[in-house]
Amino acid sequence: MPAKQKFWNPVLETLPPEKIKQLQLSKFKKIFRWTYENSKFHRRLYDNAGIKPEDIQSFKDIQRVPKVEKSMMRDIQRKDPFPYGEALCVPLDEVTIFRQTSGTTGQPVYQPDTWQDWEWWMECWSYILWAQGYRPQDRVFIPFGYNIFVAFWAGHYAAEKIGCEVIPGGVLDTKARILKIQELQATAMMGTPTYILGMAETARMKMDMDPAQLPISKITCAGECGASIPSTKKRLEEAWGAKVYDHAGATEIGAWSFECADQPGGMHVNEALFLVEIEDVETGEIIEAPGRRGKMVITALDRMAQPCVRFDSKDVIEWAAEPCSCGRTSRLIKGGVVGRADDITKVKGVLLAPSAIEEVVRSIEGLGDEYEVIVEKAGDADRIRLRVEVLPQAEDQCALIENELVDQLRLKTNLRYDIEICGCETLPRYEVKAKRFKDLREKK
Amino acid sequence: MVPQIDLHEINDKIQLLKKTAEELNRIGESFPAIARNTVRILASVKMLEINISDLVELG
Repeated sequence: MPAKQKFWNPVLETLPPEKIKQLQLSKFKKIFRWTYENSKFHRRLYDNAGIKPEDIQSFKDIQRVPKVEKSMMRDIQRKDPFPYGEALCVPLDEVTIFRQTSGTTGQPVYQPDTWQDWEWWMECWSYILWAQGYRPQDRVFIPFGYNIFVAFWAGHYAAEKIGCEVIPGGVLDTKARILKIQELQATAMMGTPTYILGMAETARMKMDMDPAQLPISKITCAGECGASIPSTKKRLEEAWGAKVYDHAGATEIGAWSFECADQPGGMHVNEALFLVEIEDVETGEIIEAPGRRGKMVITALDRMAQPCVRFDSKDVIEWAAEPCSCGRTSRLIKGGVVGRADDITKVKGVLLAPSAIEEVVRSIEGLGDEYEVIVEKAGDADRIRLRVEVLPQAEDQCALIENELVDQLRLKTNLRYDIEICGCETLPRYEVKAKRFKDLREKK
Repeated sequence: MVPQIDLHEINDKIQLLKKTAEELNRIGESFPAIARNTVRILASVKMLEINISDLVELG
């Protein structure tokens, strides 16, 4: 095994950009034809829009293909072929793997995969892990529940594919997981930023251990924004004495992007396997130039059982201006996924992205990792409360901390908050994805 | 450093592998150990195609 090779696929990952585009167009034509011919749901959608496979000759033609939203998938499922409905493109007996989305935004969407699709999941993750420095000599600990969400399942199998030794830390509680990492001298780990920070807190506060002394040297974070937020990444890396890398993927899409070992302040889109388009939220225009944020529309170019063709992900991203120093020619999205279009909300007439609050809270040294934001009505006006935890060693600096919070939040979000400083371990803890932003206002 | 490799030569071998696995799969129609194992082999072959053959096909 060529462990010294920098790239999982040295040819595809260094393709000239014009060749990448050529490859994407060729593959889009195939997946579009496959979907049109095998998915009754998609065929109806495309026939209603008056678009057929032979109409796809350019990227402009691709932009005419109607998008699919999660709500549309919810509507067609729980019907025959049960339970997937008419977006299923293969015979039911070829479906080997069932997963569902986390249900954070509504009723879960079911995701069927054939064994080939599952191999594809592992292949996508192999690109990611190799780029983050995982090699056969690594011992990888996976502290996740191995449940019905796809989460780190494919990360586990990809680590095996690469040749790592993989330790499933499923049923163990947090303390037992930390002890197992120490016992077996694990060198790498995967988890949500929330849980990885939580593990560090448990080690320090409940086990009198310094997680930075454990042999973990690299951590892959996914499942929520965090590892690309500089102050969160800094906390994670300092807590564990490890390099922390971001990855963005989704059950209904696949593992589409990753931060490489050069940590360029963004994530590569795996453009040989995924076609990413950035759509202006207001005009619907496709944004090609770097520096403008928009909503991601994505196609998984090789996913067959339930294809992902021009899926409106609601992830907010922007292209980076500069190529990465690592040598990969796939484009970077600057700052990773900076938020979700449906998370961005207006408070007191101002657009607010929750990730901006996280960046401020975690940049203040005297504050703990957890926080909570509550938006509610006070009469006719909006009120926004921020609850934070002060660390024991900073309890005499509450006034200073509050002032800094007020100043930084005003600067970064243009809003004034009611600040509530709580003691350590007061706020909720989360095992997987955090729900820190609570909008209690009545939805219109 | 990108190794010097002949993608066409590699692709020829991938296609040979695919053809052999497909034949075995047909033979294994009533032989579960052959049938199911060749399904897995063909899935892995597809990954080789994604990594190599799709690019070769572009010319």
